[in-house]
Amino acid sequence: MRLLSVIRTVGPTFWGIASFLVLLAAAAGRMPLVLLTLLTGLLIFAALAYSLNFITGLTGYVSFGHVVFMAAGGYALGYGVGTLNWHPVAGVALGAFVGLILALGIGAVTLRFRGVYFAIASQVTAVAAFYIVLEVKELGGNQGIRLSVGFDPLAWFYTIWVVLAVEVGLTYWITHGRLGYGIRSIKTDEDAAKTLGINAAGVKLLLFAISGLFAGAAGGVYYWQNSGIFPNEAFQLTFSLQMLAMIVIGGMGTLLGPLFGAVAVYLPSQFFLTVLIGFQFVIIGLVVIVIALFLPEGIVGILRKYVPELRGLIE
Amino acid sequence: MSRTLEVSNVHKYFGGVQAVRGVSLTLGEGGVVGLIGPNGSGKSTLLNVIAGVEKPTKGTIKIGDRRIEGLAPHRIVAEGIAKTHQIPKPLLTMTCRENVAVAVMFGRHKERDPGRALQEADRVLALVRMKPKANVLASNLTVQERKRLEFARALGTGASVLLLDEIFAGLTPSELQESIALFAEVQKKTGFGALVVEHVMRAVLTLSENVVVIVEGVKIAEGRPRDVVENPAVIEAYLGAEGASARA
Amino acid sequence: MADFLALLVSDAALGILLGCVFAVIAHGLNIIWGVAKVVNIAHGEFIMLGAYGAYFLNLYLGLNPLMSVPIDAAIGLVVGVGFYFGFLYRELRGKESMGRQSELVTLVSTFGLALVILNIAQAVWEHPVGIRWDPGFVQVGVVTLPLGSLYVAIASVAIIGLTDLFLTRTYLGNAIRAYSQDIPATQLMGINPTFVAAVGIALGFAVTMTGGALLTVWLPIGIDPVTIGPLYAPISFVIVVLGGPGKMWGSLVGGLMMGLIINVGQLLLGGSIALATAAAFLILIPLLLLRPEGILR
Repeated sequence: MRLLSVIRTVGPTFWGIASFLVLLAAAAGRMPLVLLTLLTGLLIFAALAYSLNFITGLTGYVSFGHVVFMAAGGYALGYGVGTLNWHPVAGVALGAFVGLILALGIGAVTLRFRGVYFAIASQVTAVAAFYIVLEVKELGGNQGIRLSVGFDPLAWFYTIWVVLAVEVGLTYWITHGRLGYGIRSIKTDEDAAKTLGINAAGVKLLLFAISGLFAGAAGGVYYWQNSGIFPNEAFQLTFSLQMLAMIVIGGMGTLLGPLFGAVAVYLPSQFFLTVLIGFQFVIIGLVVIVIALFLPEGIVGILRKYVPELRGLIE
Repeated sequence: MSRTLEVSNVHKYFGGVQAVRGVSLTLGEGGVVGLIGPNGSGKSTLLNVIAGVEKPTKGTIKIGDRRIEGLAPHRIVAEGIAKTHQIPKPLLTMTCRENVAVAVMFGRHKERDPGRALQEADRVLALVRMKPKANVLASNLTVQERKRLEFARALGTGASVLLLDEIFAGLTPSELQESIALFAEVQKKTGFGALVVEHVMRAVLTLSENVVVIVEGVKIAEGRPRDVVENPAVIEAYLGAEGASARA
Repeated sequence: MADFLALLVSDAALGILLGCVFAVIAHGLNIIWGVAKVVNIAHGEFIMLGAYGAYFLNLYLGLNPLMSVPIDAAIGLVVGVGFYFGFLYRELRGKESMGRQSELVTLVSTFGLALVILNIAQAVWEHPVGIRWDPGFVQVGVVTLPLGSLYVAIASVAIIGLTDLFLTRTYLGNAIRAYSQDIPATQLMGINPTFVAAVGIALGFAVTMTGGALLTVWLPIGIDPVTIGPLYAPISFVIVVLGGPGKMWGSLVGGLMMGLIINVGQLLLGGSIALATAAAFLILIPLLLLRPEGILR
C-alpha cells in the first residue's frame, strides 16, 4: 500500500522529530504556563535555526546577516498589528512574506559572491538595513513600534508549531530528493555542478528565499509576545550568532542538527538570563569557537562518528 | 533535423588578450573533430565558450538551428552539449556512481527519481568499464580514473555532443590503446559527436574524421588528419621554421 | 551657495582625514587577508581593544593617542601571534591554501570570537569613554582642520608606508609576501612557513590595534564596545575589498573613498551619518560585482 511504503522510506529521524512535535502539540493545552512559554521560545529558536540551515547548512554560504529577516518579520508583525489592526497570525504571515521578498532582493545581488565575500556582503546589508530602518518614520524610526497584544499562549504556540513543522518537512523533502543531490554538488564544487546541468544560481536563490521566509515568520512569532520591536535590539548581531551557533553545534545541513542546536543554545541561555545577562553569549561564542575548530560536524556528526549503531538512524 | 554544431566566427578576448580570433568550425551529428594546436593557442578557451563557461566576445554558436552562444552552462547541458575538464573536477565527497547520477539527474533528461538515476549511473559506468569503482569515493581515484569519470559524467548528462578537453593526456601507451578503443566502442553504441582537444597525436589521428588546427587563436588549417599533419604551416607551428625545413 | 561650497570643501577635507584613519584600521585586515587568505570577522573587536588600550594609556600614563601607538602595536604583535596559533595554525599547516571547509571554519570561529570579546567588554566596561586631547586647530584656506585629526591622519599614512616598506624591502617582509603567494615554493626556498605566517599575522594585528588607538581622536565620547566593532568591521571589510585584498596601498584608496563618501554623503543626505554609511555600503556592493578584484589594478 502506498502509505506503508512511504512510512518505510521516510527515515527514523523524521519520525522521531514528528513524534516529538505531535507530543508537544497534544500536551500544549495541559501544560503549566511557564513550561509552555519556555517550549514556545525553544520552538521559535529552532525555527530560526532551521531557516538558516536552508542556506548556510546546506550550501555552506555563511550568512551573518540573517538577523535582518528576523527583524523584518518583527516589523511586519508590528506594522500589521499596530497600524493595520490585524490578528497576530496574519502579522506572522505578513512577516513570512516580507522575509521572502527581502531575501529574494538581497540574494539576487549577494549570492553572486562566493565564500568570504558573501559572508561580508550579508553582514554589510544587515548593518545597512539597520541604519535605513532608523530613518523610516512609518516603522517608528529609532523608537520602534510598541505593541500590546493580548496574551494568547496557545495561539502563539500553535503558530510557531506549524511554522516549525513545515520547515522540518521541507528540509526533509529537499535533502532527500533530486534537489538534495544538486545542493550537495553545489556545496562540494559549484563550478563542476554547473557543468553537470545544475542551475546553481537558481538553487541558491531558492534556498535563500525559503530561509528568509521562515526567518521572517519566526521573527514575527518572536515579537508577538514582546512589548514591541525596537531597532537597537532587533538588529543585534547576537541573533545571527545564536542562529549560527545552533546549526554549528547541532550539525550543519542535517535534519536533526538545528533541533539539537536549539536545545543546546536556548535552554542554557534561559537559565543564564537570571544570572548574568550577556554572559550567555560569551559561553555560546566560546562553544562555537571550540566546535568550529575541533568538531565541525556538530553533535549529529559526532554521534554518527562515535556511535555506529546510530549511523543509519540519525541524519 | 540534424543536430550539427556550428561555430561561426567566434572571438573571445580577455581584456587585451585575444584568446580566440574568428574561429569557425562545424561538427556533424555523430562526427568526431579533432582540435589541435600548440599550448596556449586558445583551444580550451574555445571549448569553454561553447560550453557556456565563458561568453563569446563576438560570433555565434548554433546546435541544429538553435542559437546557444552566451547561454549559462546549465542551459548548454540541457541542449545536449557536455564538456569535460582538462584538470578533472570530480565531486570529491560523492562516490563514482553518485557523480554520474548527478549528471543523469540534471542533464538533458532531468531524471527526477534519484533511485533511477543511480541505476542509470551504473549502466553508464559499466559502459566505460568503471563498474568496479562504482562505490569508490571520487577522492580516492587516480588521475586517470578521474578523467574517465569525467567522460562517464559527460555521457551521463545524455549529451549528443561531447567537448573533450585533453582526455587522453598522461596515459601510458597501453592505457592509451585501451582508452582509444573504449572511446570508439562507446561512440558506436551511443552515437555521440565529439570535439576533441588533444595533444596526443595518436588519438587524434585514429579517432577524428576531420582535424582543425588552431594557432594563436586563429584556425590555420582544416581537413583530413593525414593531410593536416603533412601541412607545412602546421608543422611550422609545432616545430618552428627549422623543423618545417628539416622535413622538406 | 558659497556657504554650501565651503561646507562641501570642509566636509571633503575632513572626509580625507577620516579616510586616512579608515585606511589604517582596514590595513591590518588587508595584511591578514593577504597573508593567510582568511578574514577575521572579529576584526572590529580588535579595533575596539586598540581604542581601549589608548584610553587606558591616556588615563594612567597620560599618553595621547599618537604616543600610545608603539605600545598598542607591541600588544597587537603578541595578540596576533596568539590568534595565529589559536585559530589558523591547524587549518593552514601542511596545506597549500585554505580549502573551502577551512574558510568556513575560520569564518564561524572568528564570528564566535567577535561576540565573546564584545560581550566580555560590554560586561566589564559599562559606559562609553573618551580621551581628552585637544591640540587645537589649523586654518587652511576656508577649511578649519582639527590638529589632532591631522596628526593622526599623517600617522596613519606613515604606518601604511612603513608596512609597505617592510614588506617590500626587508628579507622577512618579502618572505611574508612569498608565503602569501605560494606556500610550497616558500618552503622550497628554505623559509619556515609557520614563522613567516605568524609574523605576518602579528603585523596585521599590530596595525589593527594602532588603528584603533588613532581612531579615538574621532570618537571624543564614543569609545564603547557595543558600537565600535559592529560599525568599523564592515567598513574595514568593504575598504579592503574595494582596494583589493593584499594590495597594500589599496587600503588607502579604499579608505579615502569611504571617508569621502560618508562625510560628503552626510552633507548631501541631510546630516545623518547612519544613512550615509548605509548608502556607502549599498553603493559599494554593485561596484564589487563589476570589479571583483578591487578598484586598483
